[in-house]
Amino acid sequence: MPLTVAVPLLGAAVLAAFCKVLPRAAIDAIGVLCAIAVVTLCALVTADTGHMIVYWFGGFHPHGSVAVGISFSVDRLGGGMAVLSAVLVTAAMVYSVHYFDEIGSLYSALMLVFLGAMVGFCLTGDLFDLFVFFELMSVAAYALTAYKIEEAGPLQGAINFGITNSVGSFFMLTGIALLYGRTGALNMAQIAATLSGHPADGLVKVALLLIMGGLLIKAAIVPLHFWLADAHAVAPAPVCVLFSGVMVELALYGLARVYWDVMSGPLASHAGGLRATLIALGVLTAVIGAVMCVAQRHIKRMLAFSTISHTGTFLIGIGLLNPHGLAAAAQYVVAHAFLKAALFMAAGILLHRFVSVDEHELRGRGRGADAGLRVAALVFVGGGLGLAALPVVGTFFGKSALESAVGDAHGYAWVIAVLILTAALTAGAILRVAGRVFAGWGPEVSRHHSELSAVSDMPETLGPHDRTPAVMSATPAILLVVGLGIGLVPSLRDAIAQGAATMTDRASYVARVFDLHAAHTVPVPHAPLSAEAFVFAALTVVVAVLTAWLALRPPSWRVARTGERVLTPMIVAVRRLHSGCVNDYIAWVVAGIAVIGGALALI
Amino acid sequence: MSERARLVMFLAGGAGLAALLGWALAGLPAFGAFNGAYALLINHVVVAQRAATDAVTAVNFDYRGLDTFGEEFILFTSVIGLAVLLREQRGEHTGPSAQTSDEHRFQGSSQALRGLTLALIGPIVVLALYLDSHGALTPGGGFQGGVVGAAALLMVFLGGGYMMMRRVSPHGMVELAEASGAAGYGLVGLGGLVFAGVFFKNFLGGGTPGQLVSAGTIPFSSMAVGLEVTGAFVLLWTEFLDQALMVSGE
Repeated sequence: MPLTVAVPLLGAAVLAAFCKVLPRAAIDAIGVLCAIAVVTLCALVTADTGHMIVYWFGGFHPHGSVAVGISFSVDRLGGGMAVLSAVLVTAAMVYSVHYFDEIGSLYSALMLVFLGAMVGFCLTGDLFDLFVFFELMSVAAYALTAYKIEEAGPLQGAINFGITNSVGSFFMLTGIALLYGRTGALNMAQIAATLSGHPADGLVKVALLLIMGGLLIKAAIVPLHFWLADAHAVAPAPVCVLFSGVMVELALYGLARVYWDVMSGPLASHAGGLRATLIALGVLTAVIGAVMCVAQRHIKRMLAFSTISHTGTFLIGIGLLNPHGLAAAAQYVVAHAFLKAALFMAAGILLHRFVSVDEHELRGRGRGADAGLRVAALVFVGGGLGLAALPVVGTFFGKSALESAVGDAHGYAWVIAVLILTAALTAGAILRVAGRVFAGWGPEVSRHHSELSAVSDMPETLGPHDRTPAVMSATPAILLVVGLGIGLVPSLRDAIAQGAATMTDRASYVARVFDLHAAHTVPVPHAPLSAEAFVFAALTVVVAVLTAWLALRPPSWRVARTGERVLTPMIVAVRRLHSGCVNDYIAWVVAGIAVIGGALALI
Repeated sequence: MSERARLVMFLAGGAGLAALLGWALAGLPAFGAFNGAYALLINHVVVAQRAATDAVTAVNFDYRGLDTFGEEFILFTSVIGLAVLLREQRGEHTGPSAQTSDEHRFQGSSQALRGLTLALIGPIVVLALYLDSHGALTPGGGFQGGVVGAAALLMVFLGGGYMMMRRVSPHGMVELAEASGAAGYGLVGLGGLVFAGVFFKNFLGGGTPGQLVSAGTIPFSSMAVGLEVTGAFVLLWTEFLDQALMVSGE
């Protein structure tokens, strides 16, 4: 198990040491092989995990109820997230073999560090160690965002990303320090054991707020989300694959871990208020993300806002604070990760071929007979439908499970409408791109026609290319197929059900870490698919197609024009808030965290 | 957003956060109340278990060695990230042009400064090696020793100028040193896995407390971190100074 972290980090050090000596092929090969090794190791560890494996580094077993060393405490969800991270890193590294015309070995080294940090974050059972890997993940991510240094844009995006997330790190570290001051412990199980039995007071609530604040910034929850679109617009496409596919989801995983396995004891009597807070944040994020997604013409920014909308959805699942919601969110995350990864890679193909990802500029230019463009077209159509939860493919199972979990929660049935609407809007935007770029549908719009004009896009490879390298088309094709089909794998659903049950059972978590007798945890039972699930899914697909259709064939009915007149100023106002100015972002972060803190103080 | 609106929002949010933080701090143990079961435990067992007389270093490099692994890679990644950002771009070329080599000559480099820096280099190197190797015995260790070691090269820069600093620390060598320091720490951890079955297990015998060679793997981990930190800092300065002095655009 320790090799899951040691292999990528040592691989990165080797690549950095010999970056000048080794030929590029060897560097790529070492990078990809390390990533594949991590996939295998993580898969072995996860498959081996009955309920939980606890690994004490240095062999320091706990001394009574005091943890002496650091543990990896791995359950099915943590292990599964590590596998997902490793798979996406492997795919991104294979994809980028031909992506950059000039690629230093340092790119591969940074990707491996990023991978090692994500895996450590997933597996660790120690709160401070969680922070160390969180920080390592961030540092690698900042450098990867700014990888294309020839333009001012990537640097600006990376600076916004770096500053906003560093503020988040400060919050998180302060929260951990508060808990350490109270409990004298860093191991999550030990903190949980020390805290449970006492009702939450100011210190516990504020510690939760600060740790949650750091994670919610990383998860790009509105109004802490501004950095994400800037970073995604400028980061190389294979890096976006990781940011959107796993990094922001990992932050939510961290939130679930900290809530369930550390703080759920003292917060038990406040669960109702916390639920309301998290679901409100999730709904706000899902809606703002979806609206902004539809309003973009820069394809990578559009996909970034689609990710923001989806993290809002995942936060709703986690925020239900029950095993069903967590399991549903986890299942949704997996399908979303593959589809979103494929979509970013397809956007990368467009960028590679045409040096542009402006939807209007590319109108009809994707009709070529080239294999890469065909794959990109398929990915946009399949990804759009998959994200719209077309029955039995893509996100269908996760979304249905989430709808049923939300429906079961008292007083939150209305959230189902939000889930359907936001999934439909974000999917509709992607289908719109598919129609416009690959079929040439829709009216011609000049580059600066609308008020909603795009930021300029950055070439990531030197100049336009006539053809797409085979790996660049094969990788997204495979990811698309996996993303569409993965819901059909029954063992995945079982593993997630088991993992969600284990993660949410705090008493057993503590007992397992300290090697005491733990009660057998019963997996979360599957909710059988109801007819409603198919109705909701059909509704989502219809609204998605309709969204795309209305955009491509603007109707001349009066009601549509009135709607446009009313909606456009609102969208423009929301867009104005996304100023690209990091000073604004920090003001939003401080005010946002203070408001969330106010809510926590009142519950 | 206007500057004024931003300021108002920030101040209001900041006031709220300050109030919340005050509420949290009120919940900490009272002044003088000691809540350190972990510290007592470590102080109690560290000499017997590890033959190390500096408990802080023992925690850093042994009990919580994995954290240090991550932290060391944070430094490593920051520096290679910087190297990526400051790499030579298309249209730039590196080399001391007549103009820059004139500029970079440190103006205040008098005979007295040269003599002083020359005299300091030796003691600084010795102090760095002392800190690196004695981490398990007295306060210190690889992080501190590494920074001190890097200061020796700053002395070379002050006394001999930038080209001299480049000559005594060739870029490739520094990169190699940094990466092998980072890897070396991981390899010590891996040694635990190979020889004792557990990652970061201290697989060497403790020895006599107080001896230079004692505390098992801790001195080796400490030396590896020292190498990594020295390399990282020198690389950091070299990258920035390169950018400022050597690179000229089109």
